[in-house]
Amino acid sequence: MWNKPWKMKEGFLLGGGLIIAGLALELTIGAVNWDAFAWPVNGIILLGMILALVVMTLLYNKVYAIRFLCTYQAAIPTMVYAVVLTIIMGLNRQTDDGTWFNNMLTFWPFVLIYVFIAIILGLITLRRLSKLTHHITLRDVSFLLNHLGLFMAMVCATLGNADIQRLKLTAIVDEPEWRAIDQEQRIVELPFMIQLDKFIMETYDDGSPRRFASDIQLITPSKDTIKTTIDVNKPAELDGWKIYQYSYDTTMGPMSQISIFELVHDPWLPWVYAGIFMMLGGAASMFILAQRKK
Amino acid sequence: MSWEHFIYFAIASVLLWIWGAWAAWKDNRKQTYYTTIAGLLIFFSFIVMMWISLERPPLRTMGETRLWYSFFLPLAGLIIYSRWQYKWILSFSTMMSVVFICINIFKPEIHSKTLMPALQSPWFAPHVIVYMFAYALLGAATLMALYHLFSKRSAQDSMYSQMTSLDNLVYVGLAFMTFGMLFGALWAKEAWGHYWSWDPKETWAAITWFSYLVYIHYRLTPRNNPKLALVMIIISFILLQMCWWGINYLPAAMGSSVHTYNQ
Repeated sequence: MWNKPWKMKEGFLLGGGLIIAGLALELTIGAVNWDAFAWPVNGIILLGMILALVVMTLLYNKVYAIRFLCTYQAAIPTMVYAVVLTIIMGLNRQTDDGTWFNNMLTFWPFVLIYVFIAIILGLITLRRLSKLTHHITLRDVSFLLNHLGLFMAMVCATLGNADIQRLKLTAIVDEPEWRAIDQEQRIVELPFMIQLDKFIMETYDDGSPRRFASDIQLITPSKDTIKTTIDVNKPAELDGWKIYQYSYDTTMGPMSQISIFELVHDPWLPWVYAGIFMMLGGAASMFILAQRKK
Repeated sequence: MSWEHFIYFAIASVLLWIWGAWAAWKDNRKQTYYTTIAGLLIFFSFIVMMWISLERPPLRTMGETRLWYSFFLPLAGLIIYSRWQYKWILSFSTMMSVVFICINIFKPEIHSKTLMPALQSPWFAPHVIVYMFAYALLGAATLMALYHLFSKRSAQDSMYSQMTSLDNLVYVGLAFMTFGMLFGALWAKEAWGHYWSWDPKETWAAITWFSYLVYIHYRLTPRNNPKLALVMIIISFILLQMCWWGINYLPAAMGSSVHTYNQ
């Protein structure tokens, strides 16, 4: 063991070591506190991570361990650990106040394995980029879209999570409202006002709901007023906020004089979407390459 | 058009598919194509008529997704047959399809006409159809894996050449699965305000996705063991079953998933 070249066994030991380290962290400092990652901490961590990845890429030829991280023998065991840990997550009910298996997203071994996947993804992406020649093949493009896309989607979604604002706003017909409630029940003042003109509820013949919607006006400080309709599945958008139809006065049904909206602000969304669209391109190229291989 | 008429379309399609599978064994390629395609057209016309009479895509209930699966299996089988000329693939795909058709005939679920607002989205149809096609391809890959694992003729050489086509099948299946998953993420952002919430269905989708990634990367490893790779395909497909319908029966997922179908 640990004779070069390292094989799958060493890969599994490395991942196993991370899990033990994660357990030690869980027992000493407790679960991962994602709220601590709010801006600017997440930005600094991302910058540090990219710098570390660049340095590691520069040391590629000098340090064997870094070369090993770019092999299948490192990637496959890590993915197997991810599958197993995520199965544990799937088999246990997840709750916000749960610990260990009941809140895997804050469970150090789970988090560390996914961080390790991100590190491997980052490394192999930089490595591939540094080896690109003038002749870029579809295979190169496919590789980069798949791996960099997943890296961006995963890392930005995770680091950006603490910056997401989810608010509830209750609007009464004809009364402009700018105060919303956050998840900790604190009042947040918005940079614009929402005025409910009319709540709409339609039902099928059997009484089951067919449509929930609200005719609203969005009143901005620059005095521009936007008239729009928010449906379930059709949120409105303003200044980086997405406004969703969330609820209504259920005792009144279609006669409801109020409408409850959810407002979501996610500054990292464009980066996550960039990753998702790269992965979509990667999937398309994977499809094309599979046809060609024969 | 309603589920009462399903049995007539199903019988006609299945008979044609059996004919096609038999013609494939007899190396009668033309007949294979004509009969299988005719069967597919008949089956698809039922789906279209259901779509029209329901006034929504038939994708909501488990029974309706099985309908698509029964359709995509012979279609995937035919595509594989046209590329790699396996004589047995259409027999397998027809058999699998018949199983799903029988479940729909003998264990019909409540088929509702209404579509709740959360499902009224342009993402709905592509999300589910792409997933069903991925499931059909990966189902076919699983059958091939089982065939290779248990057939006597699997001498190392011939198995190795067949592994390449199995890889291709998984690549295409995984590509479609990735589309399905990411369409789901984009839809979730529009419907619920977030693209990924670790809903039990999403958790199991991630598990399945990573599991197939393990296979793909393992197959790229020099001197990999084909037998182990075949086992990975089977394990991945078992995990896929959890994602597809297993979570409906999973205590940890009950009441906490927006994807559990009660109808």
